[in-house]
Amino acid sequence: MSVTNGRSLRRRLRRAPLWLAVAIICVVCLFPFFWMLLTSLKPNSDIFTATPKFFTTTPELSRYSSLWSTGFPRNFLNSLIVATGTTVVGTAIAATAGYALARFRVPMRRYLLVLVLMVQMIPQVVLVIPLFIMIRSAGLLNSYAGLVLCYLPLTISLGIWMMRSFFLGIPPEMEEAAMVDGASRLGAFFRIALPLAWPGLSASAIYAFITSWNELMFALTIMQNSSMQTLPVALNEFFATYYNNWGGVMAASVIFSAPVIGFFLLVQRRLVQGMVVGAIKG
Amino acid sequence: MTGETLPAARGRSAAARRWGRHLDSTALPWLLLLPALVVILGLVAYPIIETIWLSFHAGTDLSTGPFVGLSQYRSLADDPDFRAALVRTIYFSVFNVVATMVIGLLVALVLDALRSRGRLLGVIVLLPWAMPRVASGIVWKWMFDAQYGTVNWALNSAGLHQFNGYAWFNSGFSSLVVISAAWIWQSVPFIAIALLAGLRSNPHEIIEAAQVDGAPYWRLVFRVRLPMLRPLLVVLLVMSTIWAFQAFDYFFVMTVPPGGPDHSTEVLSLLTWLNAFSLLQQGKAAAIAVLTFVILAVATLMYVRSFREATE
Repeated sequence: MSVTNGRSLRRRLRRAPLWLAVAIICVVCLFPFFWMLLTSLKPNSDIFTATPKFFTTTPELSRYSSLWSTGFPRNFLNSLIVATGTTVVGTAIAATAGYALARFRVPMRRYLLVLVLMVQMIPQVVLVIPLFIMIRSAGLLNSYAGLVLCYLPLTISLGIWMMRSFFLGIPPEMEEAAMVDGASRLGAFFRIALPLAWPGLSASAIYAFITSWNELMFALTIMQNSSMQTLPVALNEFFATYYNNWGGVMAASVIFSAPVIGFFLLVQRRLVQGMVVGAIKG
Repeated sequence: MTGETLPAARGRSAAARRWGRHLDSTALPWLLLLPALVVILGLVAYPIIETIWLSFHAGTDLSTGPFVGLSQYRSLADDPDFRAALVRTIYFSVFNVVATMVIGLLVALVLDALRSRGRLLGVIVLLPWAMPRVASGIVWKWMFDAQYGTVNWALNSAGLHQFNGYAWFNSGFSSLVVISAAWIWQSVPFIAIALLAGLRSNPHEIIEAAQVDGAPYWRLVFRVRLPMLRPLLVVLLVMSTIWAFQAFDYFFVMTVPPGGPDHSTEVLSLLTWLNAFSLLQQGKAAAIAVLTFVILAVATLMYVRSFREATE
């Protein structure tokens, strides 16, 4: 890498296309977020204008407060329960399986790893019909457990790969030392390996949360009762019913997006690291 | 770590400890793998087989009817709506995958050129990936609104007056343009960040050697740096193809009725769901799902093969 210390004008000019590209990327990535937030705050007289208004002097919060009186809080709670359930169960499964695949000489380990990877490659439409039939015959339609069961196949595959790569990064000597001191294999896993793999654990947990929070197709299929619907389904119905109430729809979209965006910003670096490792090693 | 300090093992006989160690190395790994295997076999493998089985049966009103052999597939072959959807899905996937890879590469090169100063931009780039697709689909539809949309306003201001009040969702093709824009916006982040990680793994010595030789920037990228990432490129190509084939949310949210106007935006994933749960034609839906699976299985084989090449 050639690093010249003299910052000549020519050099700066040569960097100009780069900064132009940075500006374009920022605008394209952020504008939909900005526009969603702004539309949710603008009074209707500022929304329906031939020339869009890119700021507002009279922000309105009434759309957010009026969401309270609809079924939206209930849908929010449903989403929270389903996403939390998927996260807890999915991460537990991913952590134990990832540990087994990282530390033990399991027969056919290579094929097991490929099998786990193939799960990630299965199109969801192939699963949706039989899972619906299975969940209906188990009497779990319109139940949190039924939807969580559908979300496990979508989240554990990448979770297992992420956890495995994090466990591989921890020197096994630490667990061996604990076992010399009398800890059982399982004890070493819980007390030594798992706390050290905390970054991987949080990354796969957030991945599971984001995936299940955002998912539409299975939610549409399993939750048919309006009191059990999760946010993607409810928002889509809200949008279809109040097609021209753009301000209200945008306020609902903001509420729907805020938790996952917040979670994402909290752990983005680890999450990205884990996902990229999964993709590259896969 | 001497033998006399074994507090946890106190009270256990040597034989019990040995037995415990034996169990730890044979039974424990399977015990740890059991929940994952139950999910993979019960909630993935079995449903795939069930879908194939269902596709050989008549099925209406969400119950399975008599065995009909290949007739579901035969009637699909004669169904113009299905054939149109198949072709549309392939076009949609090829175009969007190529666009996503090209844009993803450009974004990755920008991030790479910024080095450590690009950290904040990296977070900004990934935000669209985390946004729920139902929400971003609605926002994109609002931005492309005929009368009050920012896109029509911008195009009109740029002198393209034919876009003044242009109703994007009145025809299949222009609907697909908007859906593609939203889809690419959502898919580029992951591709870009994965490519960035790949570019950063390029050995410095090779890049420096090429720079000393006076290789221009683009030749350095295409002749030196990207060829080193071939396994990653194949992986990302196949992954994004699978995402494109599965695209459901944007179609469902943005077109009215889903797949409309007049079936002109139906793609395979949407067609499967609509047949299964809206038209209640379970057997037909299963057959479409199986065909989707077969098409993507070819892509998955490529994926596994590239995985082998990457590890060897």
